[in-house]
Amino acid sequence: MPDPSDSKSTEAADHDHGGFGKYYAVFVALCVLTSCSFMTYFPFWEEHFSDHVGWAFMMAVSCTKASLVILFFMHLKYEANWKYVLTIPAAMMSIFLVLMLVPDVGMRRDKYSEQRKVRAAVAVEEADNHEQPHDHGGK
Amino acid sequence: MSEEHPSHLQLSYQPSLPMRNGKTFMWLFLSTEIMFFSALIGTYIVLRFGASAWPKPHQVHLVEWIGAFNTFVLIVSSLTIVLAMEFAQKNKPVATRRAILATLLLGCVFLGVKGFEYKAKFAHGIFPQKPHSRMYERPDVYYKQALEMRLRLKVSGEDDTDAKSAVDADDTVTKTDPAKDAAADQGQEDAAATGKTVQQEMYDFLKNSDLSDKDRKRLKEDFDFVVDAVKSRGTTDEAALAATMLAVSEKIMPTHQGDSDEHHVGLNDAFGDLKLPVVIPGGNMWASTYFLLTGFHALHVIVGLIVFAILLPIKFGPHNYGVIENIGLYWHFVDLVWIFLFPLLYLF
Repeated sequence: MPDPSDSKSTEAADHDHGGFGKYYAVFVALCVLTSCSFMTYFPFWEEHFSDHVGWAFMMAVSCTKASLVILFFMHLKYEANWKYVLTIPAAMMSIFLVLMLVPDVGMRRDKYSEQRKVRAAVAVEEADNHEQPHDHGGK
Repeated sequence: MSEEHPSHLQLSYQPSLPMRNGKTFMWLFLSTEIMFFSALIGTYIVLRFGASAWPKPHQVHLVEWIGAFNTFVLIVSSLTIVLAMEFAQKNKPVATRRAILATLLLGCVFLGVKGFEYKAKFAHGIFPQKPHSRMYERPDVYYKQALEMRLRLKVSGEDDTDAKSAVDADDTVTKTDPAKDAAADQGQEDAAATGKTVQQEMYDFLKNSDLSDKDRKRLKEDFDFVVDAVKSRGTTDEAALAATMLAVSEKIMPTHQGDSDEHHVGLNDAFGDLKLPVVIPGGNMWASTYFLLTGFHALHVIVGLIVFAILLPIKFGPHNYGVIENIGLYWHFVDLVWIFLFPLLYLF
């Protein structure tokens, strides 16, 4: 039978896992990781890597930073199993939300008519390629 | 006998999760926040990669190192609030208060830097919507018209609301073909008459400014180029017009990063009152997403700061450290959102 005082004692035990040293170590790791993603800003990165590699790298760095903050600063590493009840459904909903946006928003230009394409805010080099004038009173 | 309950089975009712209610509810709240921000960030990613044009960070005056500095500020504040909780647990109320104060100040620094960044955007006509936004998607006849309108208004000294109605009125005139030539002629005469005055004003400004002779000469030539381009008779060749208008926009606000040793100053930078429109493809969508994402994040920071200000006078110890843990969870989440926003907005 669970003792009502158990919750308190487990909670107190949870926080013994923290400690100043660990917090400082996480802080230093976060600073190092931030400077890692900031590296992509400098010219040598552009010379050696493509944009896609840069984006993947930055997202990987961000996810690592997020995990460090969640696990140590938010103590999720030391929490009981309830953490899965709260985090997994929320994470699934987030992914679902984003996926739902893809057909309506991300692929919205796939079925544009010619006229719509001409009137859309297109890149300048694309605009230059369009020969037909677009100012015909919207017929 | 058969209906007798088994006496060895003792069920007990546990009314809640084995932790403080405050913490439970903070985590429930955070799980809704995760969905809120992931919807916003997800929309941004989908819009950004589905867009045909998206401005480079320097085109919209984003300064990467300022964003990196703000990231650092938030990381330090995350550390200070987690230290505050540790101090409270170890019964050190003075150190706890200092750590909360440090977090509060760091949050203020973050907001101050954000405000400075917003101000720089507004100064360059980057707003989430019209009539304040001076960004045009394409270097077309509408852009030329807006330039002409602005140069004319600059002289007459009317305010921006009048400018909007005047532009609307002009749109209706030029959309009907027979009236177009007449309107263009009229506009040309007006521009010729007023352009001279704006030029005079510009020359006076340049004469009195503390720019170097080289810059002064270049800006004068740039301005003459803009006025000439606006005054020139409308061409039916869209590509030629686009090329000219792009060159005009480049002189008003240079979009390329200075490859030479000097910082390249555009007309809008040198002469702030000009407020000429510029061509930034995808700029309006960028502004909408940027201000929405950073604005919601800043609102969360403000809420956190209000709570820190309320907590400041309270004496914390092992009996009430949970309050700091709760607000700490919230603050770490705010930091977490920025961890994703910084690369997405500044470095992508």
